[in-house]
Amino acid sequence: MLINFDNAATTFPKPESVRAAARNAAEKLGGNSGRGGHALAMKSSAAVYSARESIAEMFGAQPENTVFTLNCTHALNMAIQGVMHGGGHLIISSMEHNSVARPAAALAAEKRISLSVAEVYPDDSRTVESFRKLMRPDTKAVVCTLASNVTGQLLPWKAIAEVCREHGVCFIADGAQACGVTDVSLSDGINILCTAGHKGLYGLSGTGLLISDGSFSIYPVIQGGTGTASKDLRQPLLLPEALESGTLNIPGIMSLKAGCEFVRRTGTDAIFRHESAVCSRFIREISDIPGIRVLRSEGASYVPIVSFTAEGIPPEELAAELSDAGYCLRAGFHCAALAHSSLGTENGTVRFSPSVFSRTQDAVSLAAVIKLIVKNKNK
Amino acid sequence: MKKCTVDMPSYTYAVKAERLLKARGYPCDIKRNSGTEKGCGFSLVIRSGCREALMTLDRYSIPYTLSGGGG
Repeated sequence: MLINFDNAATTFPKPESVRAAARNAAEKLGGNSGRGGHALAMKSSAAVYSARESIAEMFGAQPENTVFTLNCTHALNMAIQGVMHGGGHLIISSMEHNSVARPAAALAAEKRISLSVAEVYPDDSRTVESFRKLMRPDTKAVVCTLASNVTGQLLPWKAIAEVCREHGVCFIADGAQACGVTDVSLSDGINILCTAGHKGLYGLSGTGLLISDGSFSIYPVIQGGTGTASKDLRQPLLLPEALESGTLNIPGIMSLKAGCEFVRRTGTDAIFRHESAVCSRFIREISDIPGIRVLRSEGASYVPIVSFTAEGIPPEELAAELSDAGYCLRAGFHCAALAHSSLGTENGTVRFSPSVFSRTQDAVSLAAVIKLIVKNKNK
Repeated sequence: MKKCTVDMPSYTYAVKAERLLKARGYPCDIKRNSGTEKGCGFSLVIRSGCREALMTLDRYSIPYTLSGGGG
């Protein structure tokens, strides 16, 4: 039996309600949403709207500003390239995933924007200050992860959002690791929230969200069919269709709606408490193993993710041995080179990330396996 | 103006408008429309109280184009 402790990459298993919603969509929602006026198409369109409405409510947004994407990377690319279209200065944090760092670096390399990286510290006030110091008159946007996908560190995003508001700068939030385990709402100063549907929101893979408060325009970098104004060769600019060219992933969207409803029913507080308890127990179990370093700092807050290294054992090698023993953990750089450079983890880390379905006893037995692997290596 | 048809910029806005108006007692339905100048899209057929219904859409900043009145 395989035990998944790589839920930060994608949650598995999915709740039964999510699987049922996807099955139902595959069986009954065969029309193409927003395309055509026949009964099948209209039924799918209505279902997609109901998902938009339900998800918008969860994040304090309007249905028409809730855009379905393929994943968080897709959403972030559209947000970054769309807001920075026409140039300007962009600030990102030193904890960003490559889904932010790469499009930002590419725009900078093409000299279409100027780019600054704000250092993140365990001390929130220093982090906020590092963003504030980088603000310039031509700063157009800040992109900041709400929680690091490497260490799980929660960034002081509400304070960073406030700095953005003071400067009239668009605050783009990467909620991939925070949504579903903490309450995230546009009312807390986020202008554009990008998140994955398949992680803490428990939707199927191939789902993501871009949710705007409508205050900053997003140039559509992907253009095509929207089901409306087809004779006009210019892309419609109204959300959500402006950013949803092409056929939508209806089974995915319906699964995401069910996933969000599952999270709301369960409660983010309860999910956070459960997963954090599993993490705490895991940390307690491994912290006395010689050579284990847990990447957590005094004073910082974390979502339920634990990154660690074992002295003398490359992370990929340790993860491979754990996989042989039936435990699935992600090793390496987690597509976040900036973060690893900032943390000084030049060989990467092994990442432990539970879900609401994870059991403490499995975390304890995983720690025992790690202890055994380390002991055998040190013989 | 009792009855009218308005072209909506998207299905999403058509539903938003339909929900808003129905909640306020204005009978209306979404219809697929392929005859507009810009090509296919969605219309909202408002069957009565059109003037007041349009004022409601304006009040909620819902974009639309009046395409047919009467009745």
